[in-house]
Amino acid sequence: MPEEVRAHITGVVFQVVAQAGSKVAAGDPILILESMKMEIPVEAPRAGVVRSIPVAEGQTVQEGDVVAVLE
Amino acid sequence: MGMRELVEELNRRRTRLAELGGAEAVARQRAAGKLTVRERLARLFDADSFVEIGAHATHHADHPSMAGRETPADGVVTGFGRIDGRPVCTIAYDFTVMAGSMGRTGETKCSRVREMALTKRVPLVWLIDSAGARIQEAAGSGWFASSGYLFREEVILSGVVPLVAAMMGPGAAGTAYIPGLADFVPMVKGTSHMALGGPPLVKAVVGEDVSSEELGGSRVHTEVSGVADLEVPDDVACLQAVRDYLSYFPSSNLAPPPDGAADDPADRRDDGLLEVVPDSPRRAYDMHRIVERIVDHGRFFELKPSWARNLIVGLARMGGHSVGIVANQPLHLGGALDVNAADKAARFVTLCDAFNVPLLFLQDVPGFMVGTKVEREGIIRHGAKMLYAVAEATVPKVTVIVRKAYGAGYYVMCGRAYEPDLIVAWPTAEISVMGPEGAVNIIFRKQIGAAADPDGERRRLVEEFRRMIGPYVSAGHAHVDDVIDPRETRPTVIRALELARGKRIERPWKKHGVLPV
Repeated sequence: MPEEVRAHITGVVFQVVAQAGSKVAAGDPILILESMKMEIPVEAPRAGVVRSIPVAEGQTVQEGDVVAVLE
Repeated sequence: MGMRELVEELNRRRTRLAELGGAEAVARQRAAGKLTVRERLARLFDADSFVEIGAHATHHADHPSMAGRETPADGVVTGFGRIDGRPVCTIAYDFTVMAGSMGRTGETKCSRVREMALTKRVPLVWLIDSAGARIQEAAGSGWFASSGYLFREEVILSGVVPLVAAMMGPGAAGTAYIPGLADFVPMVKGTSHMALGGPPLVKAVVGEDVSSEELGGSRVHTEVSGVADLEVPDDVACLQAVRDYLSYFPSSNLAPPPDGAADDPADRRDDGLLEVVPDSPRRAYDMHRIVERIVDHGRFFELKPSWARNLIVGLARMGGHSVGIVANQPLHLGGALDVNAADKAARFVTLCDAFNVPLLFLQDVPGFMVGTKVEREGIIRHGAKMLYAVAEATVPKVTVIVRKAYGAGYYVMCGRAYEPDLIVAWPTAEISVMGPEGAVNIIFRKQIGAAADPDGERRRLVEEFRRMIGPYVSAGHAHVDDVIDPRETRPTVIRALELARGKRIERPWKKHGVLPV
């Protein structure tokens, strides 16, 4: 079942680490947000394959925005 | 009848009590993956140490539906035993007897046990597996109007003796505020739930269809609500967690916590501590890697590990002494403090202070979260709770500034003004009202705007500012006590805790402060 991964903090996308099709383990960083002057990883909540990452580096995301979809 | 016959009758009654709510109900309890109440007590207490009181209690309800009904021990086993050799009182609900519902006689027993715990100053452990109030007895205003004393009595016990409420089945309504007022609440995954109103009541009153698991299962309370402290896989693990938790605490607030064996060298230096903090000050890392390298044998009893993960709290030993650890976690939200992290810290600091457990603060905090979301959540009110708790605490306090010590985050993590008995910094420390980038943008806004190369000018100013916030500046003003090699953290903290063992701080008399809840 696809699972939406959401930003847990408002910030700017600093770096997209994974890409569509990447295999990730639980806890792997999918992308890194920049907020509070810190690089904050958004981790895979479980093992799976990244279906999509609907955000780009430099983009501002709000807390709760979908930043990746796992399947 | 002679004495022998009388004793035989007593034994027949005891045999009957050992059968609990009957073979069928016991089989259902086991099928649900739960131990029976007596199996639980045998594991909770040291071997053969449990003394039961109120075993012959039974209901006296005159409601027609209760006629001819047996309620062995009236659905709750009460008494006292020893854990690691120390006396502990218990109230253990028996789900096999009318779903562990709280009857009037059972509650008389519970009250008796609370009084024992209070007057003898021993911890109280509830094992909760109960549907809540026994409606057949509680309905109608006659008895209900005088009930509710269980919570008032629990409040009186709070901070006097350790209170543990282990959720080992349902805890609805009447039994849900017991954990709400307790110090430590482990929950068994899959079998335990707690809610002020269970699913049938929720359906009837607000029309919501929800399972007990979704409403108040262990995931909800350990990840979302923060009501529970620990999710455990089964009954055996739950009872072990209760024993482990109590090992860090004294029997009451009148005594120091018991010392464990000092069998991990106090001067142990772990080279791994040089590798944990990344070279880039903006990069995250796992604060657990520092905690486990400085405590005895790497053993850390973490509380609320899955809730407010941007702050770590838990119990450990250092040099054999019990210590409560409060640490920022850069891996989550960059370690910034939000409303839940502040609540988590405030509660834990209050807990340790109540029971004479010294506190160790490990700082790497970029500050409190800012923005509309946290302001609407009342970050000022929640942050104030943490300020309040840390300022009020008179137990030994030791602060290690690992990296960032920014703004009010530095204050609430026991900065110099909050009476740490020792405050030291790693060479990576950055101590400032705010981070270099933020500060430079505010202080030099015009200068940056007027520069030929604004970005270059900003970078230059940031680097200049960064030199001003390093540890040798505050150490040069004698505002931190020392700058230490990370490998010296363990020996330094242990020596500071030994210095502070006899610490006495007298506060002005007051009835109590006004909690910013």
